[in-house]
Amino acid sequence: MSCSKFETDIALYAGGDLPPARIARVEAHLADCADCQALAEDLRAEQALLGELRDGPLEDALLAQVRQRVLVEVRRADFSPRGALAPLLAIAAALLLAVVLLWPRHNPPKPVLALSGAAPRAAAASHAAPTAAPLIRKSHHHLRRPPAAQPSPPLLVQFVTDDPNIVVYWLIDQKPQGD
Amino acid sequence: MEPEGIALPMTAYPRENSGDMAAFERIMSQSERRVFRVALRLLNNPQDAQDAAQEVFLRLYKHLPSLDETRGYEPWLYRVTVNVCRDIARGRRHSLGLAEVPEPPTPQPDAYHDAERAQQREIVRRGLSRLGGKERAALVLRDVEGLSTREVAGILGSSENTVRSQISTARLKLRDFTGRLLRRRS
Repeated sequence: MSCSKFETDIALYAGGDLPPARIARVEAHLADCADCQALAEDLRAEQALLGELRDGPLEDALLAQVRQRVLVEVRRADFSPRGALAPLLAIAAALLLAVVLLWPRHNPPKPVLALSGAAPRAAAASHAAPTAAPLIRKSHHHLRRPPAAQPSPPLLVQFVTDDPNIVVYWLIDQKPQGD
Repeated sequence: MEPEGIALPMTAYPRENSGDMAAFERIMSQSERRVFRVALRLLNNPQDAQDAAQEVFLRLYKHLPSLDETRGYEPWLYRVTVNVCRDIARGRRHSLGLAEVPEPPTPQPDAYHDAERAQQREIVRRGLSRLGGKERAALVLRDVEGLSTREVAGILGSSENTVRSQISTARLKLRDFTGRLLRRRS
């Protein structure tokens, strides 16, 4: 067998990478071939030089620059998954708030007029059956707008997220309270 | 001189809080030389190696919470380093001519920097830069970094047989290159 057939295995053998089953054949050839012995020696010398590349000095200034650039980048933009979600959470919160505030009211609160005197029960009934016609009595009655018709202040719901910088506020309109 | 990065075993780092800045900085300080050295060997350009190392550590920070600390971070760091260097090399389409290979740092007067030995190392370093990307990556990880064939295969996502073929070819090519130059100089 010519030496060229052994070169690949010798290159592995020199680095200790040759599978055990092929070692004996290579060693037998090396024992009889001065050229391949020289090749193996060259390869071992080459590996020693490669190993020295690992031990060579590195410029600390280059490493320091990398370190500084990384830390600046990390601190400037939070790369953590929580930080990566922050913009999405903010957008979601804004959309939610917009939907809540701008959603068309199908049953806008109508002014409910209640009769003085007659009244608590009738007024209560009007709230119990919102589809009924508004209770309006004419002139001989004294009309007044009951306190319940005053718009209630919106309910503020606050969602606290893991990120202290993100708090979702949800304003909910409340139904006017009856008497 | 104590070789940098050698003290770091292929074992897990003690896990701290995910994404914790202190843990991240500690891991970076322990592995930055190794990452930069591999990037430098793969890219042959200090600025590109800096860019690569920066990208590797930003990815480390991003993925730190999801990494399995029981397997150690080194295989992951090596894999990402190789991939990042591959992307940088593709993007910038470096021709790895001799003129572009930077000179090594100024030698210091010790035994390590024996002039003849330094010259031989420089020839080997240049020869390394002439290898194709996959062969160079395999040889750097195996012969420069001293990882096992199995570890190299895991990092490169190849079979051990493929890695053996790559390092065998790379060693022979490097031997041809260095032998030619050394004979010319002698």
